[in-house]
Formats: sequence, C-alpha cells, structure tokens
Amino acid sequence: MNGTASGGKRSPVETDLELIGQAQNGDRQAFGQLVRRHHQGVINVVYRMCGSMDLAEEAAQETFIRAWSHLPRYKPRAPFRNWLYRIAVNLARDALRRERPTVDVESIPLASGDQGPQALVEARERGEIVREAVTDLPPASKEVLVLREYEGLSYKEIAETLDIPIGTVMSRLNYARGRLRQSLAPYLEVL
Amino acid sequence: MKGHVTEWLGAYVDGELSGVRLRRVEWHLRECSACQGELDWLRALSGLLEESSAVERRTSPERFVAQVGLRLPRRQERPPAQRALEVGWKMVPAGLLFSLAFVHSVFLVAGVIQVALWMGLGGEVGALLLPGSSGGLSLPDLSTLSQASVADAVGTVSALVQSGSALAWLPVLYLCLLFVIGLLYCSWLASWWAHRRHQQLTASNHIS
Repeated sequence: MNGTASGGKRSPVETDLELIGQAQNGDRQAFGQLVRRHHQGVINVVYRMCGSMDLAEEAAQETFIRAWSHLPRYKPRAPFRNWLYRIAVNLARDALRRERPTVDVESIPLASGDQGPQALVEARERGEIVREAVTDLPPASKEVLVLREYEGLSYKEIAETLDIPIGTVMSRLNYARGRLRQSLAPYLEVL
Repeated sequence: MKGHVTEWLGAYVDGELSGVRLRRVEWHLRECSACQGELDWLRALSGLLEESSAVERRTSPERFVAQVGLRLPRRQERPPAQRALEVGWKMVPAGLLFSLAFVHSVFLVAGVIQVALWMGLGGEVGALLLPGSSGGLSLPDLSTLSQASVADAVGTVSALVQSGSALAWLPVLYLCLLFVIGLLYCSWLASWWAHRRHQQLTASNHIS
C-alpha cells in the first residue's frame, strides 16, 4: 500500500478498531493492513455468489475501494468484517445482474496430495458440482447460505449484515439447504 | 410421530438454539428417527460444503493489497473553514445552555434588586425605577411566576406594564428569552436529526 500518514513501525497486534481509527484519519498503510486481514473472506463471499474467480477478485477490490471512501462514516457498531461483507454482497448482486453466473472450473482447488488420481478427479468433480449447485441458488438464499456455511457468521450477524430479520435468515437458510438437498442428492448419499 | 422439529434442525446444527426450544428439539430427536435422519442429512450437507470450501486464488495476497492501494482514491480534505463550522455547529447546544444559565442569573439578580427597591432600600433610584410602587401594586415575583397559573401571570404582567415601571417588562423579557432559546434548541435538534438521516441514507445508498 502506498504512502502512510502516520509512518513509523506498526505493531503486529493492532486491533481492527485501532487500524480503522488510523485509516479514518487517512492512513493508507493501516487500511492496507485491514485489506490484508479481510480480503480472503471478501473474495470467498463474492466467489461463492458469482462462481467466477476473476469476478470475485475484481469485486473484492471494488469492495475495499468503496470501504475506503465510506470509512470516515463507519461506526463500529457491527464488526468491520461484517460491514465489508455487506458491501461485498451488494457488489456481488450487481455483478450477478450484469453477468450470467458461471462456474470457473480452473479455480477449483486441487485435493490433497495424499489422494490417488482417481480420488483426486472425483473430489474435483464433486467440488465443481457443489459450487454449481450453490451458484444456481436464488441470490437471496445464496447470500445467507454463503455467509453461514463458508464464513461462519451467526444468524444475528447475518441479519445485521443483510439488514433482514433473523426469522428471514432462518427461512432462507432452510430453503437454500432444501434446494441443495435436491441438487446434491447423489453426493449426499455416498458420503 | 407428531410435532416434528424439521424447521428448527438447521438452527440446531448451526448452534443457534437455546433454552426451551433447544431442549424440545433434543428431546424430540431421541424419539423421532425421521427427524434424526433429517439431522444426519443436514450434517452431511455441511460436510460436503466444507469439503469444497477451499478457494484457489489467482492473485497473491501481497499483489491484491498492492492493487487495492493503487486504486484507492485520494480522500478530499475538508477546508479548515468547513471543519470550524462543523465544530461550531456541534457546540450550539452548549452555547444555548450557557445562554440559559446566563439569562437565569441575570433575571435572578434583577429580581433581587427589584425586591430591594420595592422595600425602599434604593432611595431615589428606587422611586425612579418603580414609579408605581406607592399604588399598592403587588410584587412581580419572578420565582413564583412559573408556578402561578397562566391567568395570574398574565394579570401580574399586565398590571406591571400598566403601572409604567421600568422593571415591569422584566418578566416579559424573561419569558421571551426563554422562548427564543427553546426555539433555537428545537431548530438545532430538528436540523441535526435531518442531517443525520440524510447521512445515513447517503451512506446506505452508496454501500448498496
């Protein structure tokens, strides 16, 4: 990250709140630390929603740029991570509206080296099917599922992040899981 | 078995249930094989999703951070005059509170002086300021004015005004100043609320 307002050595254990305070005063290095801490989660959220790594990295960058612009108005009522996820989800929605969702086969992770070639191929195929099933979910229930299953947010945090009631979080999650049960039935049986 | 808890199983797996609801689900699961089957299925689904949770990045973290850094726009610095105006705006309630205390003090002193003059302690000055004092006019007691009924207060004030006393206008002035301070505070409060609401809406629109 270029330039810093405060200069000097930065403590490695600075909390998000400390970094946010410095970034709010224009410290780009402090903001860089925040980006370093949270970018993986933001990329994951957008990727799970869009199914494309290129789109996810682009939207994640845009998320942080937007966060930087609105940081002076950020009030730490909710965790910074959840605030970022809110921006990321909104950007992912926009991206989904603009582009048809695609599954990026190249970005599918390789299974561990302990597995044989056959197991590797199967794991890769299964991963692709799961990602496709998640990507095909309706956006509203997909957002809730991604935040819960992949990012581990509590129902309350999801409700705050998406600005919806907790009851809606539960019903959307139940719906998403029901849909996945249908589309992933063969893979669930073999587990 | 009646009373299945299927709709709560997701929340149960996620550790979101507590109290009576949690006990009810746990009790039901011991008895109901259908719901137990649903629970197994939910756990299997979570496992399947977790298995595919790893995401292979195209860009290294360092490069990602650098790219974001290059794209960050320069924040617009607010001019000092605007910042001073903002600070001044936030100080308005304190200023009004100070004004209120000042008005109270001034009128308290004025009331004391008035009583002293009425009792004849002011000599000729008293006669000049209170020409109608010999007419048996009742004292304009500021301390009790607020407790008296509105009709009494209006009656007292109008009697004082008619007497032509120089101090007779004090209660009127006092009430007017209180009214103005109250009005200013309400206006500030209303504009502060409107400004805050506007900020929230703008932030929410931009984030969306």
